[in-house]
Amino acid sequence: MNTNNLKNIAIEHLWMNSKSWLQSNKENGPRIIIDAKGIYVTDSEGNTFIDCNGGYSSVNLGYGRPEIAQVVKEQLNAISYFPQGSTTEPLIRLVEKLASMTPGNLNRIYPVTGGSEANETAIKIARGYHSRRGDKGKYKIISREGSYHGATGGVMWLGSPDKVSEFGVPYPGMVYVSQPNPLSNKYENESSYDNAVRCANEVERMILYHSPKTIAAVIAEPIVSQLPDQAVSPPNIIYWEMLRDICNKYGVLLIVDEVVCGFGRTGKWFGIDHFGITPDIMTVAKGVVSCYVPLGAVIVSEDIADAYVGSENLFRQALTFGGHPAAAAAALKNIEIIEKENLVNNAAEVGKYFLNRLNDLKSKHNMIGDIGGIGLMLGLSLINNDSVSKNINTNFSDKLKSKLIREGLLLRTNGKTIHFGPPICINKNQVDEIITKLDKVLFELEQE
Amino acid sequence: MSNELRDKALKYLWMQNRDWSQMAEIGDPPVFVKGEGIRVTDTEGNTYIDVNAGYNSVNVGYGRSEIAEEIYKQMLEVNYFPEGSTTKPTIELAKKLSDLTPGDLSRVFPVSGGSEANETALKIARAYHVKNGDINRNKIISRRGSYHGTTAGVLWLGGGPPVASRDDFEPMYPNMLHAPQPNSYRCEFNSLNNSECAIKSANAIEDLIKFHGPNTIAAVIAEPIAIPQGAIVPGDEYWPMLREICDKYGVLLIADEVICGFGRTGKMFAIEHWGITPDIMTVAKGIISSYLPLAATIVSKKVADKFADENNYFKHTLTNSGHPVSAAAALKNIEILENENIIDNSAKMGKYLKEQLEVLKTDHQIIGDVRGIGLLVAFEIVSDRKTKSLFSSDLSIPDRLTEKFFKHGLIFRVSNEILNIGPPLSITRSEIDEIVHAIDLSLWELEGELGLPVND
Repeated sequence: MNTNNLKNIAIEHLWMNSKSWLQSNKENGPRIIIDAKGIYVTDSEGNTFIDCNGGYSSVNLGYGRPEIAQVVKEQLNAISYFPQGSTTEPLIRLVEKLASMTPGNLNRIYPVTGGSEANETAIKIARGYHSRRGDKGKYKIISREGSYHGATGGVMWLGSPDKVSEFGVPYPGMVYVSQPNPLSNKYENESSYDNAVRCANEVERMILYHSPKTIAAVIAEPIVSQLPDQAVSPPNIIYWEMLRDICNKYGVLLIVDEVVCGFGRTGKWFGIDHFGITPDIMTVAKGVVSCYVPLGAVIVSEDIADAYVGSENLFRQALTFGGHPAAAAAALKNIEIIEKENLVNNAAEVGKYFLNRLNDLKSKHNMIGDIGGIGLMLGLSLINNDSVSKNINTNFSDKLKSKLIREGLLLRTNGKTIHFGPPICINKNQVDEIITKLDKVLFELEQE
Repeated sequence: MSNELRDKALKYLWMQNRDWSQMAEIGDPPVFVKGEGIRVTDTEGNTYIDVNAGYNSVNVGYGRSEIAEEIYKQMLEVNYFPEGSTTKPTIELAKKLSDLTPGDLSRVFPVSGGSEANETALKIARAYHVKNGDINRNKIISRRGSYHGTTAGVLWLGGGPPVASRDDFEPMYPNMLHAPQPNSYRCEFNSLNNSECAIKSANAIEDLIKFHGPNTIAAVIAEPIAIPQGAIVPGDEYWPMLREICDKYGVLLIADEVICGFGRTGKMFAIEHWGITPDIMTVAKGIISSYLPLAATIVSKKVADKFADENNYFKHTLTNSGHPVSAAAALKNIEILENENIIDNSAKMGKYLKEQLEVLKTDHQIIGDVRGIGLLVAFEIVSDRKTKSLFSSDLSIPDRLTEKFFKHGLIFRVSNEILNIGPPLSITRSEIDEIVHAIDLSLWELEGELGLPVND
């Protein structure tokens, strides 16, 4: 089938993530990727781009690793699935590996197929845990404003009550607290430390306000990657130390969402490794398998999992594709390559270099406001200087995007921010390539 | 190696619906290393028939190397894609699904499992009404005894015995309404007549809509043939009535084909048995025979059109939506289903299986009922055919049956008195004979242990 045909079919029949087909139509059809290697992708017109956000900050290893395709094929040829109540070898190897990598006693792994399912499962485990201990009323979940934990019925209400109002009545028991963000200008001159303490105290205040008897868990990303209009900024370490203490004090479970942060993105294996605490439940997806196959997982501490021992305490949940052997084989190989090629260190080093280069850019371009990031989770916000902010609107964002595409950069813009979450195999020369192109585009925009 | 693996599984793996302490006592879990057709082989070299094909999901059977090859090729070519772009197999799959599904079902949102597909369907249904200005239409009607998934938005659909209790996960999602299941073996209206039970069950949905007010109801969701109560094939009146009722009150009709779809009932989609077109259809499992995770929400033009332009786009993002490797695998899987006449085989073998179970029923008083269509067949164990009562739970009938089946070479996990059989659709007559024979032996043994009279 030729490309034009395919594009017309896509406009007619495909419902893409967060994209309308009339818009696709205006753009002469969606971009169709026909080749992908490392950080580069090539479309059906023969244009090659750098995928600055690595899928959805998810192709950690980079595109096109034949080793993964090879193990997936071998696994499928051995056994492609499994009967109910049984399991397969690659899954057992994977859960052993995850238990050894995650901190503390996070040792019991429930495999699922994506980040939303992982967080849904985490919440169910938290509620079921309390109900087994006779604390039936502990069902509310505390999340932070602007956080994102998924798109399905339970987790889509975490992080923000408003943005999803089309989807009916919210799930009961959602409690919201402030997002720690040292770059936020809500409180002028607030230090990063004060910001962290204030936000952690707010968690305690909300637990007391609602009564500890009603709160099941706090869910949070170690470092939030994509707040609208703000660059990435990790909270002060005191935030996580306090959160851990507060949760312990009130018998509230602490769920850490490592869907984006996990597997090297922030320059450590897990985002929470920067803060030295152990959550009760950790969720992973994306980087665990670098999107070669759908996979996610919920990693639970032994203390919590023990509440589910005994047939009367069974966790009643089944997902057909949970524990898929081909996904497990792919994830194992993915983790093995990340280890062998030292890509977590690479994320830390190249990330630092990337941040420095963005700072160089800032000194050249007035329209760059904040710059922030850790490892290869980076962002910059455009403008905090009033004379320019007037020009920043949707048109601007579209113009920016199309210029970047012309230069060969695919990246994510969100309001006034640009996000970077490239494959963590990226090298310094490739960062230079991105910076040079960005420089050119910003210069052009300033001229206009 | 197998002991080492088992120990690690017991220590680190949280398996679906299994308790690691109990598994440790009985030397479980089994670890499978090979699959071929309807059979799987464990680490010790024992081979079993997987009676339920995974979760009624391995429709083309295990070990189809063509699918593995397709996956390999696609993964080498393009294993994923940047935001806002897509890939060839994803587009081709959207087209294929539009062609296969009835009526104006023509817009495909790919996801990675049945729960996600139904979640996506509910979000589309609710947002559709909001875009129409009907901002209060967000209640969803499902049926007691149905199952639509395990994430929070769909967990509270269906339910009730024999679906696993959800009381751990309270509070219930708001605005969930529940109607009767058109199950004429245990009809809520005490009707033994399948048509009558169907008509009364459909009328109950209309009553529910009228009671709550049509302008509060977003959708009715139902499996064409529901599994939890054992392959409930409703009377022929049911689905046309549902379609009519939904049209009358502006309610969307969602058909959950997660289990039924892709040949399971002897047609490509089960809804084809009644010739109606739902507004939204969800598929998973058989679309890819579980070779990789994949599912889809397929939407009518009428509904999708509300989301067509930039200002009305559907705010819903799932990282694995549109995965090219899963799409390529599904295309190959569907090609196999079509080229090898597997759906026809499902219809024929299903009929044969049901006949054989009917024969068993004449020999075994504890079989209360045999029902189903295609290779979605069920039978129910009762202590008394007249009263349809169940054996006391102290007798642990389900566990004992599971054990006996295993001894006779079947992986056939039973969790209550309703036994669903949903093997690969590629199954042969002699393989069905093997399964039925093993069931026959297991039932004799059970009856002997229970001291039940034996038919001559």
